[in-house]
Amino acid sequence: MSATFQPAARQRSDFLRVAWAVCREEWRALRRSAVAVTAGALLLVLTLAATLVSWDAMRAVEAERAHLQHEADEQWNAQPDRHPHRVVHYGHYIFRPLSPLAFFDFGVDPYTGHTLFLEGHRQNSANFSDAGQSSVLLRFGQLTPAFVVQTLTPLVIVFLAFGSVARERERGQVRLLIAQGLPGSALLAGKLASHAAVALLLAAPALAALACIGIADNSVRPHAAWMAAGYAVYVVVWALAAVLVSAATPRARDALLALVGCWIVTVILLPRVMPDVATAQVPRPTRIETEVAIHKELAAYGDSHNPDDPHYREFRRKVLAKYGVGRIEDLPVNYGGLVIEEGERLTSALFVRHMHEEFERQQEQAAIVAAAQFLSPVLALRSLSNALAGTDRASHERFLLEGEAYRYRMVQALNSLHVNEVRYQDDRDQRISKSFFQRLPRFVHEPIGLATVVERHVRPALAVFALWLAVLVGGAWWLARRLERGVPGR
Amino acid sequence: MKTLQLELRLALHSRLAAGALILLLLLTALAVWSGLHAISNQRDALARIAAVQRDDVAAVAEKYRDGGEAGYAAYSTPHLTVNPPAPLAFAAIGQRDVQPYALRVRLLGLHSQLYESESINPELAAAGRFDFAFVLVYLAPLFVIALMHDLVAGEREAGRLRLVDSLPVPGARLWRRRIALRYGLVLAALLLPFAFGAAGADAGLGATVLVALGAALYLAFWFGVAAAVAALVRTSAAGAAVLLAVFVVLTLVLPTFVNGAIGRAVPVSKGAELALAQRQEVHNGWDLPKGETMTKFFRTNPAWRDTAPVTGRFHWKWYYAMHQAGDDAVAGRAGDYRAALTAREDWTRRSGWLLPSVAVQVLLHRLADTDLESQLAYQDRIAAFHTVLRRFYYPYIFNDRPFGPAEFAQLPAYAAGAGGGGVAVTALGALGILAFAGLAAGAFRLRRVRAL
Repeated sequence: MSATFQPAARQRSDFLRVAWAVCREEWRALRRSAVAVTAGALLLVLTLAATLVSWDAMRAVEAERAHLQHEADEQWNAQPDRHPHRVVHYGHYIFRPLSPLAFFDFGVDPYTGHTLFLEGHRQNSANFSDAGQSSVLLRFGQLTPAFVVQTLTPLVIVFLAFGSVARERERGQVRLLIAQGLPGSALLAGKLASHAAVALLLAAPALAALACIGIADNSVRPHAAWMAAGYAVYVVVWALAAVLVSAATPRARDALLALVGCWIVTVILLPRVMPDVATAQVPRPTRIETEVAIHKELAAYGDSHNPDDPHYREFRRKVLAKYGVGRIEDLPVNYGGLVIEEGERLTSALFVRHMHEEFERQQEQAAIVAAAQFLSPVLALRSLSNALAGTDRASHERFLLEGEAYRYRMVQALNSLHVNEVRYQDDRDQRISKSFFQRLPRFVHEPIGLATVVERHVRPALAVFALWLAVLVGGAWWLARRLERGVPGR
Repeated sequence: MKTLQLELRLALHSRLAAGALILLLLLTALAVWSGLHAISNQRDALARIAAVQRDDVAAVAEKYRDGGEAGYAAYSTPHLTVNPPAPLAFAAIGQRDVQPYALRVRLLGLHSQLYESESINPELAAAGRFDFAFVLVYLAPLFVIALMHDLVAGEREAGRLRLVDSLPVPGARLWRRRIALRYGLVLAALLLPFAFGAAGADAGLGATVLVALGAALYLAFWFGVAAAVAALVRTSAAGAAVLLAVFVVLTLVLPTFVNGAIGRAVPVSKGAELALAQRQEVHNGWDLPKGETMTKFFRTNPAWRDTAPVTGRFHWKWYYAMHQAGDDAVAGRAGDYRAALTAREDWTRRSGWLLPSVAVQVLLHRLADTDLESQLAYQDRIAAFHTVLRRFYYPYIFNDRPFGPAEFAQLPAYAAGAGGGGVAVTALGALGILAFAGLAAGAFRLRRVRAL
């Protein structure tokens, strides 16, 4: 090829000039195509609509949860003077707050309960999930920007790009251009660049929404930036793959079929099949079984109501020894409260252990699904996106763990009031001032730190994309050489 | 018959068509198997639950060997209710993977127990199940598109369209025969594995036929639309593009949009409000004079008015009266909450008049008894059983009768109804009308196909 005799710099600028020309030509062709413009415009409108609709929906959900939390706090503060153990049973409600980014990707939030009732001796489930309160429609998915970019944008990218090289080859234009001395690599690079740019343009409204949130809210700025990066790389991967398939197949029609097939398998089929595989592989006990198991283990510790129970006899001995008295009536503190405190300590430890065991089983299931993310990059993107939006499983688990920790602190604070402010004699007939309860700290939800999210979800997802990009670049190099050799794709 | 055989050979000659049909058959078989597996898992779980429940009750009963207080026995005894899957549940798992299918209730306030959720892996639930309904609603139309998008354009591109046009038989009849053949093949690929599954699951013939009818109508809609589009477009690529756009709008975009709209228009925050109000009502009872609570209770339970009055700091009578008064106080809110949930179901059904994907989902999940309505019916059965519990325990509690082994042996047991869904007649009607409209559009357009 004549280019080999020219100096390297000249050669590079030639390459860029040609690639740029090809890229502009491709854009012009796309702009002239009514189908391309319509599809692109429809997608833009849809992304915009999804953004506004889910923004509005999430604000409503947030307002509702804030209102309920406020109501629950008011109820708590409005309590009259009560026996502290009465308050242990009265309990408290907490509602899971949402990250400002949740509007972008609802993640698992519709499937998890957001209302947690915290009381003594018991661990309740988080209730009132959307999934439990919706018709079968919910299972179609949610119209969020994440859904549009993850699921629909790739399809539009495919439609715009399937003919990019294949159609020109069908018309014999590729052979002609190569024969005129156009480097195949520049031709392909131009096509790749043009469709990568188009893909970014298609995702622009969603990325702009992320940028707006990032600008408006300091606390999620890095989250929004990582998220935008993840989505941008994802659509670029699709665009490159689509152009390369177009360059690899002899006819445009074959390219379209192959690409739509890829879309069906990676976006629709695998994300559904893998969870079923995971469910079948890792069995999990039902809530009732766990409840009974905890109950049994608890009974094995001892029965606080039985005066001859070894565990509580030992406990009594220790307490009496600590205060140097012979009878529980002589203790300076309320022994009844101490026993309840001890019981709560044992139960809560069991609850936490069983929670962690359950989370591990769920993690095992998730790992099976994640094994498919190299085949189906949308799984990697979903993991990244859910985690950054604070709507992933880990965020829900954190809420449950924090809820349990808060429940334990709250109940033990009340038990400590029982121990110190209520006399042992006529225990149940006493009440203490409501001001004691009002002083107890409120529940504060701390989202998972960004460093953890990046480490656990963003980096692995970006690694998947990097691998894909490497494969695609390798494929592009090989295909460019094949184009130059003038080998028709047959 | 001969021509049909030729057409069949022609249809299967294309590697794409034959491959697509075999793939659809395999995917459907996989979905049916996966659904059966998931449902048998649920049955196993129910068996395990029944076993641990027996142990649990036996352990409580053990403490009452020598008799004891009925109030305390009721406090410590959980009663199991179950919602076993209907035979067809395997085909449309629906809400069964997120809703509790077993719930234990005690004699305490019903509304503090009724909304407990099952422990699920939300990540897996969010993805949705791979069941027959999924294959039918999402995948089958894609196969229809693969088989139909080049129906006319393929002939044109191969240069045979003029030939077709010059045949002595009217072109429309040729297209009709071709479409009918493909329709039959796709339907068979879907229904063969399903029929095996339904037979294995002991689903009744009626319900099985109705599912088949729903599938046939849904496919008819798509074949009609695909024929109309195939007749309109010049190239097979354009056919694929337009059909995929229709698919995306009808099965991905509009249902999610409708879901969002319904969620916004019919809020269900009343559930959590109901829980807050019920807790407040029950616990306020501890701070009120006992007479006040008892008066409230007697208003709805006059039968116990003349039993011995409550004295002292604590009595089980007063304790359960307080719980029931709490339930009574939130009855209005519970009704509102229920009305909101029902309204969501109603609006979903209405959207089925425009969206075949929704209509067929509604039809299938009603037949499989795995929709929200099924869960609400289960909640009603739990409530009814809770009333049975009250009727059983109250005579012991209010008449201060002792509670021992003989009484434990007579604890009421929850009888799971013969599960089974119903027929969503409107959804079936909607599907029929939409299928007819699709086919009419297809027939109309095909009649106008010309070689140039």
